[in-house]
Amino acid sequence: MKRRFSFVLAAVLVLIGAPAAAQDAYPTRPITMVVPFPPGGVADLTARPVAAAMEKVLKNPVGVVNKQGAAGAVGMQSVAVAKPDGYTLLLALSSISIIPEADRLFNRPPAFTVEQFAPIALISADPTILVVPADKPWKTAKDFIEDAKKRPGQISYSSSGIYGTLHMAMELLSQAAGIKLRHVPHAGAGPALTAILGGHVDALASGPAVVLPHIKAGKLRALAGWGDKRVAALPEVPTFKELGYPDAEFYIWAGVFAPKGTPEPVLAKLRAALREAVNDPEFKTSMEKLETPVTFKQGEEFQRFFDADAKRLAEGVRRVGRVEAK
Amino acid sequence: MLDVLQNLALGFSVALSPPVLFYAFVGCVIGTLVGVLPGVGPLAGISLLLPATFGMDATRAIVMLAGIYYGAMYGGSTTSILMRIPGEAASVMTCIDGYAMARRGRAGAALAIAAVGSYVAGTVSVVGLMVMAPPLARVALRFGPPEQLALLLLGLLVLAYMSSGSMLKALAMAALGLLLGTIGIDQMTGYMRYVYGVVELGDGLGVVPVAVGLFGVAEILATAGAPTPPAVIKPRLRELLPSRDEWRQSTWPIARGTVLGFLVGILPGSAHIIASFVSYAVEKRVSRRPQDFGHGAVAGVAGPESANNSATSGAFVPMLALGVPSGPIPAVMLAALMVHGVAPGPLLVHNQPALFWGFIASMYVGNVMLLILNLPLVGLFVNILRVPYPYLYPAVLVFSILGVYAVNGSVVDVWIMLIMGVLGYVLRKLDFETAPIVLGVVLAPLIELSLRQSLAMSDGRYAIFVEHRIAAALLAAGLGLVLLNLYTFARRGLDWRARMALAEKGDSP
Amino acid sequence: MSVGRVSGIGLAVLALLVLEETWRQRLPLGSVASPGPAYFPGVLAVLLLAAGLAVAALGGGPRVASLEWGEWRHGVAIFAACAFCALALERLGYRVTIFIALGFLVRVVERKSPAATLAFAAALALGTFWLFDTLLRVPLPRGAFGF
Repeated sequence: MKRRFSFVLAAVLVLIGAPAAAQDAYPTRPITMVVPFPPGGVADLTARPVAAAMEKVLKNPVGVVNKQGAAGAVGMQSVAVAKPDGYTLLLALSSISIIPEADRLFNRPPAFTVEQFAPIALISADPTILVVPADKPWKTAKDFIEDAKKRPGQISYSSSGIYGTLHMAMELLSQAAGIKLRHVPHAGAGPALTAILGGHVDALASGPAVVLPHIKAGKLRALAGWGDKRVAALPEVPTFKELGYPDAEFYIWAGVFAPKGTPEPVLAKLRAALREAVNDPEFKTSMEKLETPVTFKQGEEFQRFFDADAKRLAEGVRRVGRVEAK
Repeated sequence: MLDVLQNLALGFSVALSPPVLFYAFVGCVIGTLVGVLPGVGPLAGISLLLPATFGMDATRAIVMLAGIYYGAMYGGSTTSILMRIPGEAASVMTCIDGYAMARRGRAGAALAIAAVGSYVAGTVSVVGLMVMAPPLARVALRFGPPEQLALLLLGLLVLAYMSSGSMLKALAMAALGLLLGTIGIDQMTGYMRYVYGVVELGDGLGVVPVAVGLFGVAEILATAGAPTPPAVIKPRLRELLPSRDEWRQSTWPIARGTVLGFLVGILPGSAHIIASFVSYAVEKRVSRRPQDFGHGAVAGVAGPESANNSATSGAFVPMLALGVPSGPIPAVMLAALMVHGVAPGPLLVHNQPALFWGFIASMYVGNVMLLILNLPLVGLFVNILRVPYPYLYPAVLVFSILGVYAVNGSVVDVWIMLIMGVLGYVLRKLDFETAPIVLGVVLAPLIELSLRQSLAMSDGRYAIFVEHRIAAALLAAGLGLVLLNLYTFARRGLDWRARMALAEKGDSP
Repeated sequence: MSVGRVSGIGLAVLALLVLEETWRQRLPLGSVASPGPAYFPGVLAVLLLAAGLAVAALGGGPRVASLEWGEWRHGVAIFAACAFCALALERLGYRVTIFIALGFLVRVVERKSPAATLAFAAALALGTFWLFDTLLRVPLPRGAFGF
């Protein structure tokens, strides 16, 4: 009697434990990390070292797949509707908060919503910096803002596209400083950089890595940064926060997400794996080469950062509104 | 001069070292493969292989990626000539006269001329890159939205010279192509145009599915069911090489194509395909027998093929001299440099002379390798034509679907290719040309964006096009050309209606 | 009705459709100084309308009824095979889809022997997959069955 009972008990425990054990066994198949941007871009170059480091930690292949299109919407949408089994992950940039807001602005059914994702970790948060051509008269951000106040709508800036990250950074500054600038959208960060180097626009908000060589060569001048702290490579450039514009905070950040509904144990495993991965020396070297500082946030911290960032960006998009022709 | 030679010596010592040579060769082979495959172009090829280069030394990585880039320009002409399917978007123009030459039994000659033209263009343009990079790059930077618009409008004029049939029909096709090019997200305001909820259409139709569909799939739909299958051409060895006459006919087009392609490639925002379109138009304009174009004119192959190869070197000018990408492919290569810890920028030549000159030297070496690779392959490729058509066309369809899918990993692209294939088939039946549609799809977003950017820069004043001297000069040149043509038109003394009708009845293929 | 007339009218109708869609999607027109999203397509649609009407007016070309559509059945079969590929590519996986499509084209449409069909279809489906997915690392879809 006792033996039968213990047998049944054992069987029941095994049955209860089996799904948990299956999850314990995660991962058993190769994991796909979707990068919604073309190869060679910021997202792609960040994703590959992350995937490589995760692979080492999980002892399981993690492959990067580029699914580009519509400024990231195609790839992000594909993960939003993917099976939440932990085998499809997303490496997203800050545009994940912008795209649904822009869709709402145009009364379109959104391609995806932020709620369709479960955040896992933040990998990097590049503060954007304001650069102007070296031959322009503004030596400090103060000069720039004062001049913009005197000549509203006259100072032009390029961006990687409307409602894109570089545009939103400038918009947040304009709203915080109460200035009006002239926006000239371009088809991507590359053309935006070309435009300012050719002197066709007066300013650009950019990630530091791309413009650093030009600053060093004396072609561009950095005025201020949108980050919480000063950029390590440019210690003499103040932040807008220091200058009295705390609302002008913007990062081009990259984070790992999974579709919502991915089981908690799987998420926990992924978080742990990422925590270990960012400490991998090879990962650190890769990120150094890219001049992208690693800012690792998880759980509560990431959620707070993400929510605050999403709120700022959504507000910004709403205040830009639809660009109605004059 | 002396230090250029010294630097070249350094460069060659790097480029000819076995590991670098090996990676250059690998790049060239992959590039040729990528070029031959319909649809997949150098951008897709480089993007897909970028991750594989992460573990390599920087020089080897960049040499291999560059090899893929210009290698694809060599290979792209192969399927264009043999089967009228563009190997990549830039080879669309080669489809027209190259395929006509193949139908006349001159496939081998066409392939050989394309290979040699590509070699000459590739090599000469590297000299240009080497010697003139910094000053050219500075000039290129001064091409902002107003200048780009002026240039693109000149490019539109090219349409007038592209049609071998009715100019009115060609203009209608151009308008259609330009309209198709407006599909997608409007870059200036964020509105979605004619997208109907398909997220993948946000970036537009894409020139690759459109070109492969309009030329390749349409060709198959038209020929596969024909009552008499296309005659299997059994080429003999003697017929493989171009005749002396054909060589003579290709010298000047190659020269012109080289210069044109290089200049077009330097300009930021231009596309390779524009280089080959412009070259085709120029060749047709200066030719003594323009009626040959569309029916197998040697210049129609030699010019565009040379142009798209030298555009490759042109694209490297801003990238190497200033660290500024002139298009998506140089952008990926810049990213490759960054990943390897090489900071691109104006100081690249100073900080990394071994990399820079090694790269230049390996381009010379690469072009030689590709010539040696491609010429004997002419004999091999021409034998593809011996495969019976009932087996050949399904294989071609598989490669087309594969190629188009591989670019973005999107089935939507395959659908676009199919729909454009049906459209191309119908248009052929109704005696319309399809090349202007491809040009329209490429130009529409560029023209609209430059126009609206220029107006944004000037706060709505059209005077900006007069204030920017380069733009004004280009626009004046364009206007002058149009007026000149109208004048010649009028002088012929024919009633325009009669002329149109003549053109309608005349050159129907 | 001549080819010219029919095609011209077709183009004109298309142009009108574009104008209607632009209106329905409520794309703002903007002004000459600041063109909106509807401006460029609008101008092009008007140009297409004009060109279409001009082509129709000129007429010309053979009569539509006399056009050779002999290959249409073949064309439909080819299109059907390709459409099947587009639908099945990501559901059944590359190799299975291509194998079935090739089998259909070579056996049913081209009436080649079953043996030749099998060999050709298998060789091409598996061969291209190996060349591109395995060798060149171009990701090709694997179907629901993982194959």
